[in-house]
This record gives sequence, C-alpha cells and structure tokens, in this order.
Amino acid sequence: MQANLSEKLKTYRISQPEYEKICDLLGREPKGLEWALFSALWSEHCSYKSSKIHLKKLFGKSKRVLQSFGENAGIVDLGDGEKIAFKMESHNHPSFIEPYQGAATGVGGILRDIFTMGARPIALANYLCFGEPKAQRMSTLVDGVVRGIGGYGNCVGVPTVTGQTHFDPSYNENILVNAMAVGYFGKKDPICLSKAKGVGNHVVYVGAKTGRDGIHGASMASESFDDNSAAKRPTVQIGDPFYEKLLIEACLEVMKKDLVVAIQDMGAAGLTSSTFEMAEKGGVGIEMDLSQVPLRDSTLTPEDIMLSESQERMLLICEPKNFAALKQEFDRWGLDACVVGRVTDDKKVRLLWHGEVICETEPEMIVSSAPEYERTYEEHQLKWPIKKAIPQKGEGVLGDAKMLNTILTSHHGGDRSWIYNQYDQRVGAATANDCSHAVGVVRLQESHRGLGVVLGCRPHVMRMDPYFGGIDSVVHPSLQLATYGFEPLAVTDCLNFGNPEKKETMTQFVAALQGMNTFCQRLETPIISGNVSFYNETKNKNVSPTPSTGLVGLRPSVENLPHDSFYKENQDVVLLTFGSSWFSGFLGEITQATSDGYLEKDLSGIETFVKKLTLASQEGLFASGRVVGKFGLLYALARMSLEGMGAQIVCDQAPFTEVFYQILLSTNDVSRLSKALLSENVSLTAIGKTQKASLQWNEHKWATEELKNLYKKGWEASFAQLAR
Amino acid sequence: MRKVGVLRFPGTNCDRDIWHAVEQVGDTPQWLWYQDRFNPKDFDSFIVPGGFSYGDYLRSGALAAHAPVMQSLKEASELGYPIFGVCNGFQILCEAQLLPGVLMRNSHLRFLDTMVDLTVINAHKRFGQKLEKGQKVHMPIAHADGCYYVSDDDLKRIQDNQQIYCTYVRNPNGSVADIAGVMNKNKNVVGMMPHPERAMYEWMGSCDGQKFF
Amino acid sequence: MFKFGIRILPRPEVLDTQGRAVEATLKSLGHSVLETKVGRYVQLSIEAKDIAQAQATAKKVSEEVLCNMLIENFEIEVLK
Repeated sequence: MQANLSEKLKTYRISQPEYEKICDLLGREPKGLEWALFSALWSEHCSYKSSKIHLKKLFGKSKRVLQSFGENAGIVDLGDGEKIAFKMESHNHPSFIEPYQGAATGVGGILRDIFTMGARPIALANYLCFGEPKAQRMSTLVDGVVRGIGGYGNCVGVPTVTGQTHFDPSYNENILVNAMAVGYFGKKDPICLSKAKGVGNHVVYVGAKTGRDGIHGASMASESFDDNSAAKRPTVQIGDPFYEKLLIEACLEVMKKDLVVAIQDMGAAGLTSSTFEMAEKGGVGIEMDLSQVPLRDSTLTPEDIMLSESQERMLLICEPKNFAALKQEFDRWGLDACVVGRVTDDKKVRLLWHGEVICETEPEMIVSSAPEYERTYEEHQLKWPIKKAIPQKGEGVLGDAKMLNTILTSHHGGDRSWIYNQYDQRVGAATANDCSHAVGVVRLQESHRGLGVVLGCRPHVMRMDPYFGGIDSVVHPSLQLATYGFEPLAVTDCLNFGNPEKKETMTQFVAALQGMNTFCQRLETPIISGNVSFYNETKNKNVSPTPSTGLVGLRPSVENLPHDSFYKENQDVVLLTFGSSWFSGFLGEITQATSDGYLEKDLSGIETFVKKLTLASQEGLFASGRVVGKFGLLYALARMSLEGMGAQIVCDQAPFTEVFYQILLSTNDVSRLSKALLSENVSLTAIGKTQKASLQWNEHKWATEELKNLYKKGWEASFAQLAR
Repeated sequence: MRKVGVLRFPGTNCDRDIWHAVEQVGDTPQWLWYQDRFNPKDFDSFIVPGGFSYGDYLRSGALAAHAPVMQSLKEASELGYPIFGVCNGFQILCEAQLLPGVLMRNSHLRFLDTMVDLTVINAHKRFGQKLEKGQKVHMPIAHADGCYYVSDDDLKRIQDNQQIYCTYVRNPNGSVADIAGVMNKNKNVVGMMPHPERAMYEWMGSCDGQKFF
Repeated sequence: MFKFGIRILPRPEVLDTQGRAVEATLKSLGHSVLETKVGRYVQLSIEAKDIAQAQATAKKVSEEVLCNMLIENFEIEVLK
C-alpha cells in the first residue's frame, strides 16, 4: 500500500505534504480523475505556488489599466476609444526538447491569450537566451527556435516587430524562449472575459480536435531537466498556425456579434484549467460530458482528455439561443464547435463520461486552495555601494578601443538580421519600425498614433546584481521608448529563474522582483500581465536570473521618428549622462578582465528624465538617438555609424565601461536640447560632430563600411553552418 | 470609382492590407469569399492578396487554386479583366495556370523579409499604369517560396512577348532571370512576389507601392 | 552501391497539420477521401561492403538526420 502511494505521488508529481492537504480538503483520499486534476492545477506552472506571495505585491494599477492579472492578458486604455491587450509567456522546456514545435506553440499560445479577450493581434516580440554557439545541439536549437517562431507568426499573419537574443553558458542546457503578443481593440470591439455566467448556458468546445499532445505537460514544466528528460517526454504538441488563423477570425467575429458570454483558451493543462478556472471565476458550476469532446484519437481516456495540451482549442460559454448563429460562423471557417456541457448553479465541476458521473469537485477547493509557499530567501545586499567615479580612459581591455573589432565580429555584438529576416515584420501594413530598430513600432489603426514595443532584461546586468538587474529590466527599455518619443505605459514580464526550492534562486527572484516593482511604481508603468517560469536548471545548474520584460509606449504619430543611426551630416553629437552608476560591463565579464563598479539604487530623478526625454523626442529636438547599452559608448557609436554616416568624437570616458544610464543624440541645436533635458542628475556633453563615411574615436578611426562588414560577419563566425 | 474584387481564402493574411491600399488610391474594394462564385461584370478588376492560404501546405497556392472562387476568376481572366496577385496571390495564380511558371522554395531555403529594389520591365495596363519601363522602385519582400522558375524555352517566350513585369536589382531568392513579377500572354493577369501594399507611406520605408494600385 | 527509399510520415498520435488541410480540401472538392497523411520520401544511394552495412547506415541517417523521431516515423525499402 505504502509503495503504491509513493508510486502514485511520483506519477502525478504531488509531494507528501500536498497529498496530506488534499486528503484534508476532501475528507478522504483522492480517487480516479481527481489525482490528475490536482496534479495539473497544483503544479508550479498553473498554481504559481512558489511565487504567488511575491506576485501579490506587484504594482498593477493605474488610471489606464482596465484589466490586469487574473485574466488571459492585461488591458491598457490608450484613450480615443482604443485599447490594447498584451502579455509575455515562456515556452522554455518544450523548446529545448523540440525547438521548432516548442517555439511555434509558444507563439500560438500567447496569441490565443490575446485574441481570447477580443483583441486582434497586431504585434509579436520574442526574447531568446541561448548557450554558447559551440555547446551541444546549440546550432540546432537556434535554428529550430527561429524557424518555429517564424513558421507560426508568419503564417498566422502577425508581424514580429522586435526581439532580443542573448548568449551565455548558463543557458547551454536550458534555453529560454519567451514570446510576447500585443492585441488591438478599436472603438467598437468588445472585451471578452473568462468568467463563466448564466445558469443553463451552453459550454461550447471550439477549434481543433483533442489528441495526445503534451499530456502532463504542465507538471513537466514544473520540474528540472536531467539526463532522463528524453524518457519522460510527453507527445510533442504540434502547432498549426493555419488553423489558428481560422480560429482568430472566427472567434473575433462571434465576439463582435455578441454571441459569447465568456471564453478561455485551453493552454497549460488544457481542458482542466479552462473548465475549473472559468467556473471558479464565475462562482458557478459546470457540468461537462467528456465523451462529447471531439477527439483525434478514439482511444483517449477521460484523464487524457482533461490533461491534453492539443493546440488551437477554446472553451466558451454561450446562451442556448445564440448557439446556432455561433456554430454557423465556425462552420464558415471550417472549424468544429460543439456543446460539451452546461453552466449549473451548484458551484461544482461535474465531469461525465457517456452520461455517467466520474468526478465531482468544487473548483474553489482546487483552484483557490492550491498551496502557497513562502520559499526561503535572504534579503539581498546591493553590490558596490561605495562611490567610484566613471573610469576615464580605462586600462586594459576596457580602455582598448581596438577591442571594438573583436566585439563587432562576435555573436555578442554582431548583426542579428539572420534571425529577424526570417520573421515577417510587416504583415498588417502597419509597421513603422521593424526589428532592425531598438524599438518596434506599429501604427494604430483608428487614431494613427504610434505604439512602441520594446523588450527589457539584460542577463549580464542580472548576473552582476539581481536587484539592480531588476531595475534595469524596466528602466533601460523605458529610456529606449522615451528616446524615440514613446510615453511608457505598462509592462508585462516573464520571470525565468532556477529551482525555487533553493535559497539562492529565491533570493535572486525576490531581489529582481523588488527592483522591477519599485521602478514600475516610480515610472507609473504598472505590471499588467506575465508569467513565472521556475526550474530552469539542469543537473543542479541554474540559468542566469532572467526576468524578461515587455513594455509598450504611445506616441502621437509614427511620422518623423528619430533614427537609430546617424544620418544627418555635421550635427553635434551629444552624450546625455544620467546619474553616476556604472560597471565594467559585458566586455569585462566575457574577457574575465575586470569586475568593478558603483551602483546607486535610487536613480533619483529618473521619472523626470524619462518624461523630458519623451517630450524632447516628440518635439524633434534631435535627429538620431540611441540608449547606450552593452559594451558601452564606443560600441553604441559604432552601431550608429553603420548606415554610412559616422562621427568624429573626442571623449575621455573608457570606451567599453557601461554607465547607468547614457544616451547618444545628434542635434542641430545643443542649447535648445540642453534646456529641454537638463534636470536632476542629468549632464549633457557635446562630444563631437557627425561626418560622412568614418567614425573617429580620439586617435582611432574606422571607415563606416568597415564597421558594417565587421558587424555583418559576427553571425557567420559563430554559426557558420546556419549562415547559408 | 472602380470596384475591385479582393479574394479571401482560409489563411489569406494580407487581405486587410490590400483592402486599405485599394481604398487609399480611391477605389472600392469588395470581398470575394473562396467558396463563392461571382459575376465578373460587377467588377473593374481583381486582386489575390498574399498570406498562407491553406497554411502553404502541400505546395504554396496549390490548394487555393482549386477553390470554387477560382472558377469565376478564370472566367474573368478569359474575358480579359485585370487580375493582380501579390506574394501568395502570385503563387495561387501560377498554380491555377493563369500565369506561366512556378514559385519554388527560396534558394537559401529560408523565409526572407527584407526591403528590395526592383526594376520595372513592362508596365501593366491597370496595375502599375503610372510606372515607366526601367523605373526603379523600393519595397519589401516576405516569403519562403519566391524562387521563380520557368523552363528555358518558356523564359525566352515570356521575354519575347514582353511578359516580364519587374525584376530584382539584387536577386534575393534564386529566381530565374531575377524575375520578381510576370504577366500572362494576354497581359491582363499579373503577379509579383514583393508587397506594394506594404510600401504606401513614407513611414513604412517607401511609398512606391502606391503606383501599383 | 545500394539504393534505399525512406518513407517518412508523422507518428500516428501526433497531429498531421498538412494532412488535415489537404484532407479538408479534397473532401470539399467532393472526393470520397477518408483520411490523408502527408510525409516525405527520400532516396539514398549508399556505398558499403554488403547490404547489411548499407542498411545500418540508412537506418542511422534516417534516425539522426532525415527524420525527427519525436514526431515522425520512417520505413526503409530496398530499391533495385
């Protein structure tokens, strides 16, 4: 008996204390299907049991926020009758197992979260972390993930407008694939929620048939990888973007016609989570006959059906009188829509199999009583609190301008167009800035205003200090939005961390979240959606803490955006410096030459600076702009010189030290610019002039053509077999 | 005001973009659903938009070429109505044998989205009236199957009959003779891989596309 | 030299997205098709000392390169 129980706990990945809690709640042992339901809904992936305590503290409200956590995605009011929904989600584990399908279904899943709410998807972004190019399978993983993202997004017809790709050995055996989607509501588009309502209403299953895909996927995502990962693979989930495209059109149509009471997509833990969450949120019961669920494989058991993660499926609630009209619309798009159950008044989820009750539970008990853990962590101490000036003409590699050539030709500093040229960046005919820019921009359909999309989190800053890295995940992308004239509005996040049962991981998690949260509050950019991905560890090695973020910003128009590169001759090049925090940066890390810096956690005055910068940009006070990022000032200047216009610069600062924060601008009117931008903690220095065809840094000189050639070589040097 | 029929197949995803482009130049678009037939006389011309009809499964355009709406489109072609296919629309017109040749997987075997320069070789009487021979235009491509192929004999035939619509200045996908767009023998049907509807405003990076509608 | 044909099809439990789309079209055209599966066919010529060694090579490249064993199955046939 004992052996039997421990075997069961292992199969369903339920711990002994959790098992005891379940027995307490039920007043007996779980039986039959209940095992599977608890396993899925109490998994880390579905229940957020290790992170909930901390997530509750997040800043999520502002006058613009119409919907935050608790729904499929957050919604922000843009004014003028326009709204957007957006969210970011991880698909790390599936992408490591089967990179093409893992990444593709990641994109598919995040799109469903968006159009489930009634918003038409208008932009995609992706945040990728890979291991060293030479690591085992890495070329295959990079290739598969990029093809998968492109294969899905291109076909479904949503442009990918921005992205980030990082490389570090900590991702060698656990890559990160985070996808973000943005959806648009025009004046007449309704918002649909997932709260089941109306006793007697139909529960309707729409979309693809259920197969064996990803059974037990949610609980797998809540475990670490080990050498046996291959053996415990569930059936790989296959994404079909063509089917999803049909589902988008059909769903948006029935929502517009007001035929839907509530709707939720079947994501992690498939039918289980959608049924239980819809019932729980609505405070109603649902009775559902699983034998009515359309199947691809007739041998599926009720347990398989409840746990299947087949893609492109939705569960919706509809009034019986509207069902015929709803079915007609789905028929038109060649999709299944069938009644599988009804809404009841007894607050129970009752599952039937060919008319016979096989399970009856209170959703409230399973969903709301899921365990919450206060995992052990320590209060984080900020690194380098003692003030040191930003190094001038640094020594060693950080001071050696010639290192620029090495950086540009490495996979860290080289061109990423091999990746993003495989994504359709312009379908929708609304893209004003594609992936070659720091901020992706789409034009809003009705008001013609610009929506900026940018990703944050720089793993090398996270590795330096998780609290400061958390701050940077919000502040750096906010400055990027501001530079191009977008007022930062709100944030989504995807918190990728290691094993939460380890104190070290939890300490990083809490510190990063505190850093992010404090500055979201300061910048009035609430966190409105997101997900947590724990257990990103393999053989006891955690990935770098990686709380990726996605920010959106608003600009009055898409005309006259500042360029990322220099393009006007004989303009003043201005270096804006905010605050006095700095560190030896990415070059210091990868060359292992030095590790030093000064961090000031207040960044006093940052709110004012972001606002002033946004306005100055909108007023057209500078022609080109770029936030100085990894590899510091000289690398940023080189990136701005790739289009043929360079600059002549005289500057004492060490070329590769990274300062929090600096921005390069080119302008005709330095005095107007300084009047507009000078504020607390901000200094402004003219460091040179733009000039044709070459970049000069003190006594060093490169032809812009040479810089471009070096930059283009970086990818091929590391991924020769992929680069044609 | 000209009425332009815009075809929609399951998986078409540039339909709304074409719709806006048609409106932008002052014409009136009207949807034509893949399962429906239509009377050509009700229209001035027709556009088959891009996307992934039927997910590009089997071969790009192959399944769409057999949809009921294509029967009517063939009749329209026989009557000499102007028909314009963009990207997947071009692939569909080739698969339906309304245009010569076929579009194969790009020579580097990957999807490619990038801006390209084109040279106009022969203008079309309706789609691109304002274009001149030899004119250079700038717009994006976004496709995996854009490598145009015809046999040597057919190539000579379409060259002699002035059926080549436009060519790439720098061939991005391995197309025979750098061909980016072609016309049929009667020169009423035209198709091209690049996307003029994505080059309608300066903020898109080019407004050369306006001249194509 | 030995010649082989490798027939690659999606595993039965895995969703065949192409097959589903092709099947729907064939049905809508009125053909009485019940099920459609879409796969690939690869021909290999292999230099080896005997058929057993050649077959082993064909199996190895099928498993490691031609076929994604997570989602596909293959069958090898010997060609004349």
